[in-house]
Amino acid sequence: MRPDLPAIHEIWVYLSGSPLLALILTLAAYQAGVMIYERTQLNPLANPVLIAVTLIALALAALDMPYATYFEGAQFVHFLLGTATVSLAVPIYKGLPSLRARLLPLAAALLGGGVTSIVTAVVLARLLGADETVVGGMYAKSLTAPIAMGVAERIGASPTLTAVFTVTTGILGAALGRFVLDAVGCREWWQRGFAIGVAAHGIGTSRAFSVHAEAGAYAGLAMGLHGVAGAIVIPWAISALR
Amino acid sequence: MMIDGLARILVFQGIGEVISKFVFPLVPGPVIGLVLLLAYLAWRGGVPEGVELVSAAFMRYLGVLFVPAAVGVVLFWPHLQRQALAIIVALVVSAVATVAASALIAKLLSRGGSDAP
Repeated sequence: MRPDLPAIHEIWVYLSGSPLLALILTLAAYQAGVMIYERTQLNPLANPVLIAVTLIALALAALDMPYATYFEGAQFVHFLLGTATVSLAVPIYKGLPSLRARLLPLAAALLGGGVTSIVTAVVLARLLGADETVVGGMYAKSLTAPIAMGVAERIGASPTLTAVFTVTTGILGAALGRFVLDAVGCREWWQRGFAIGVAAHGIGTSRAFSVHAEAGAYAGLAMGLHGVAGAIVIPWAISALR
Repeated sequence: MMIDGLARILVFQGIGEVISKFVFPLVPGPVIGLVLLLAYLAWRGGVPEGVELVSAAFMRYLGVLFVPAAVGVVLFWPHLQRQALAIIVALVVSAVATVAASALIAKLLSRGGSDAP
């Protein structure tokens, strides 16, 4: 006698207990995002991260799968953010000669961009009546996610809220960056890449690499420098101001 | 090659995490790992092929690494509804202003007689 085929819900229960489903969902949704992004001739508004997140949120709602269950599987992808942060040493190392040659514009752009990012976000949020928890999440939002969350913990802000603002900032910077750069008449690839890296960390760098290799390299350099500088300066500045 | 590079990067990440936990709690582990890897590359005078490959792959596909956290963002948003306007305005204006400020500063300072090639 042939054993009965397992009912679909048994397969479902089995899969949801393993990381497979979350991993497949994550990679397939991102791949779909990349395909749409390429189909639209790299339109910055068709950001692959944004598309992937929308698809996964819809899938989780349709499958009635809690975020915690999804994250349990997807954490393997998430973990690599820290590893990717360490590997930022490579674009920084390779950027050292250009950093030396362009020290003044790059250092000033990093400092100016970093200060602008914090001051505009904190002041606006406060003016518009956001509470202190939300304002606290604004400080580290332009640093790359693992660093931003680490900094948030150290300055007594909510790491979750900081992650929310960080990822949103990355998507916004990647999606709107091109229009801003065109509006201010910035044409050099190295300047465009660097500005996107300062403002929109990893998601911006991903976008920059897809458009132009030099822009991507400078974006990686900017993200790395901003991450290191921010991790050291922000907690120190906040404790000095308090 | 890839494995060799990934192993080396993970070692630096591990050392960074340990130092962050026990010596410099003010600096996140991956940042210490980054600085140590940078010092190693400078001391070595070049990037090992494996490390180069892994790093290039990470830079190209950084976006996907943000997806799991970003999904949480979407689910978190409803809790922020009351302050949604303040948050959205602050984030959008800040992102636009940051890109504009960095780009303009880089542009103006490199035009003003920098000896860049």
